[in-house]
Amino acid sequence: MEIKSYERDGVTVFQVSGEININTSPDLRKLFERQSAKKVVVDLQSVSYVDSSGLATLVEMLKRMKLQGGAFGLTGLSDKVKSLFEITKLDKLFPIFATQEDAVLRVK
Amino acid sequence: MKENGAKKEFQIPSRMPEVQKASARVLSFLKPLRLNEGALFDVRLSLEEAVINAIKYGHCLDRGLRVRVVVAYDPKKITLTVEDQGEGFDPKKVEDCTKKYNLAKPSGRGVYLIHQLMDKVRYNAKGNRLEMVKFLKRRPYGN
Repeated sequence: MEIKSYERDGVTVFQVSGEININTSPDLRKLFERQSAKKVVVDLQSVSYVDSSGLATLVEMLKRMKLQGGAFGLTGLSDKVKSLFEITKLDKLFPIFATQEDAVLRVK
Repeated sequence: MKENGAKKEFQIPSRMPEVQKASARVLSFLKPLRLNEGALFDVRLSLEEAVINAIKYGHCLDRGLRVRVVVAYDPKKITLTVEDQGEGFDPKKVEDCTKKYNLAKPSGRGVYLIHQLMDKVRYNAKGNRLEMVKFLKRRPYGN
């Protein structure tokens, strides 16, 4: 898994690629815990696989942002990854956007 | 595909880096079925969730214990079995992760996903052996 972070219109974008699984999700969690941005978009366009520990990490990120009074959005979910959010009803919990542009516009 | 199917069995140490190695072995074994990406994703995720649970909860991360993995297929189905050396657990005690009050909990989705992605799921009476079945279809699995 690789993570690039950059600013776009005042929003911190985490662009993740690879897999968010039991062995890689701790890296995502650590990186996120170190950042202090209040407006965050996580772009999963290049993520091919997410397991339950990956979902758990994203839930923790969302909760942390809410606690800090920040805004959080997800974008770039593949059909299969999106189906995991739908099956687990996490699509009701997360703001999910079709494009990074939409996500940044709504989060900023 | 071999006419009457095939079966493979192996054991792995209780270490998380072994999880992906186990699923890679299983998917490689299933190559003759020419499963599509969706079916491969379902089989891989279900197997990995089961192995993770075996290591984490069944073995409490005890590296000295081993997880047994069996994969078999025939013209109609794929069967995955994951067995740990632990005391077993009661699957009825797993909370429904899709209930509103559980949605924001960070854990508890692995078993639920297995039930959703596989066609048949059953535990032995002790609760330390999980059998998962995926039925093969001409379409969309393309086998």
